[in-house]
Amino acid sequence: MKKIRINANFINNNRSYMFLALILIIGLFMDKFYTAFNIAAVTGNGSLIMWLGLGFTVCLIAGHFDLSIMYMSTFGALLCLGLHNDQKLPWIVCILAATLLGCLVGFVNGILTTKFKINSFIVTLGMQFILRGGMYLYCNGEELSIGKDYSFNEMLNAKVGPLPFSLYFVITTLAVFFVMVVLRYTRFGRNIHMVGGNLETAWLAGVKSDLVTTGAFMISSASCALGGALNGVYSGAASVTMGEKGISPLMMAITATIIGGTSLSGGKGSVIWTWVSLVAISFLKSVFKKTEMQVLVISIILILCIFYETLAKYRRDKVVGTRPNLHKEYLKETGKVQ
Amino acid sequence: MSEVNKKEYKPEAPKVDTRKTEISKFSIIFNKLGIWVIVIMLLILGMIVSKGQFFTASNIQSILEAVALVGMIAPGMFFVVYCGNMNDMGIPSTMALAGMMTVQSINLGFPAAILIGILSGVLIGVINGFMIGKLRANAIIWPLAMNLFISGVIRVVWGGKQLYADKVARDTESAQRAAETFYSISRTYIGGIISLMAIVMLCMMLLAWFIHSKTSFGQKVKIMGTNYEVAKCSGINTVKVTMMVYIFDGICAAIGGIFYAALRKTASYENGTGYDFTALTAVVLGGALLGGGKGSIVGTFGGVIAYGILNNVLSWIGLGTYEKYLVQGLVFLFIVWLNTYSNRKLGKA
Repeated sequence: MKKIRINANFINNNRSYMFLALILIIGLFMDKFYTAFNIAAVTGNGSLIMWLGLGFTVCLIAGHFDLSIMYMSTFGALLCLGLHNDQKLPWIVCILAATLLGCLVGFVNGILTTKFKINSFIVTLGMQFILRGGMYLYCNGEELSIGKDYSFNEMLNAKVGPLPFSLYFVITTLAVFFVMVVLRYTRFGRNIHMVGGNLETAWLAGVKSDLVTTGAFMISSASCALGGALNGVYSGAASVTMGEKGISPLMMAITATIIGGTSLSGGKGSVIWTWVSLVAISFLKSVFKKTEMQVLVISIILILCIFYETLAKYRRDKVVGTRPNLHKEYLKETGKVQ
Repeated sequence: MSEVNKKEYKPEAPKVDTRKTEISKFSIIFNKLGIWVIVIMLLILGMIVSKGQFFTASNIQSILEAVALVGMIAPGMFFVVYCGNMNDMGIPSTMALAGMMTVQSINLGFPAAILIGILSGVLIGVINGFMIGKLRANAIIWPLAMNLFISGVIRVVWGGKQLYADKVARDTESAQRAAETFYSISRTYIGGIISLMAIVMLCMMLLAWFIHSKTSFGQKVKIMGTNYEVAKCSGINTVKVTMMVYIFDGICAAIGGIFYAALRKTASYENGTGYDFTALTAVVLGGALLGGGKGSIVGTFGGVIAYGILNNVLSWIGLGTYEKYLVQGLVFLFIVWLNTYSNRKLGKA
């Protein structure tokens, strides 16, 4: 009995890695799974939701929901391709413009949440409508493509050295690790964790909580806009329904964030966990060819994760509470003396 | 020392408090009437824009028909928000499942098919209520996972196909008649004026209003939404109340899903996509706080109506679908800000 419980805890703590390992082991029995072409295609196509997951996780660590990320990334892609086609600007300027738009949207989100005291769920819901209308107006609902200039597209699609990964995926990975370093080793990043964990304590400790929350929203929106712009160049085209095949990318990002183990109440989590589970989901799409099976398998894994967490919390709440001696007795009986 | 202090002491001029103590009249009025201020403003705007054609029977009919589906789902969503569970993201899959089950069992006759559709909604409500009420799962993520799971189950069981009632029905006369009846429920006009969907919506709103303001159950939900611990300590059976709330939510979503399937003449896994956010928009416009414990059915009805009238007025102005999204988002954020602002000025939030 004791052994089983320890194993369950171990699995729970490393569940994103377990998920990835499970998918990779299943891949051993598949045809043409471990070919360079398949791996490059799978990771490249999954990179868009990795950016979305990155943004969503940063916001969730700060204790806020950001639902506007999906349309933000689509708008970024449309803006990047549109500027390149119409104004003939170089690629780097187009991508910077998209990122700047992301910063602006994140800033507005943050101001509305912190200064006007509206719930972030509602703010980003309204922002979702605004972005959707804005991007339809920008492109009139048409699909934009990158015309004749394929140089940057080929650069993103090319494999990096001996690795079986495209440059786009490598950039995504580097960005995720960069954000991880920022969150873990800088004052700003630790403040984000603190604000998410307990807003009042953080404010009393002298953290400029409004500034930090706005910063988290800006990171989230900017990374999504940048990822969307890169995805537009990578795939050579952008339309208003970019990335929507079966499930919306927003749902995918939320799912991966939860499977990764980021706490919903904020303050705990890592972008690496989300990234690993998104890589696993990308590979899962190669294992199960049918969309129906993909949805079912992902949802079953998500339900198992939530179910385990809920049950563990339920048991803990039942024992820990108003009577600490009872908890000590329980620990002695079960042999878990601390 | 004390003498020196006495010499230096000078009585200060009394401080005058220059802060504003008056609350602006607008905050008070807006807090009382809520969304109906906006509805009246929109009505006046509509009258000006449409040059007097706003209050014709056909226009009012089209407004009511457009909001009927949202209005059926909104009462259920209102109770979920009201009891402090923030949002039910599982509404799309409940709608899809109810439509699928109804169409699949059309051979049993029309009333039985509708009953099975509603029962599937009740089933999802029971599961959600047990998980959230008894085991205290996270109220945002559990319905979301459930949504994904049921959507996956529907896709796998029916192979991602769309179902048509007249093709599912057997060749017997009674089954074909049941399919015909099923299609006609979204297109019936009682007395030739008001559609059946609008009447169902009004009935659900009335029922929800009765539950909310005239029964002890509504009071229990309010206490739960305001403070869960207090509700538990004062002897309210929180598990039962949460269960009932989610069952009501499931029934509302199921009825909406059945009408949606009848309106589109198909049942598929993607029925009802986006209705969770639309219903939440209506509820929040009506002045409900996401934290729970504040809001009313009258306000929710106002939110639903405002949503429809705004769309209609924008059409009269001549905006396309795409421009509408932009204006809707701006108006939504503005109204929510007004709500929050007036609440804060009156010290209610």
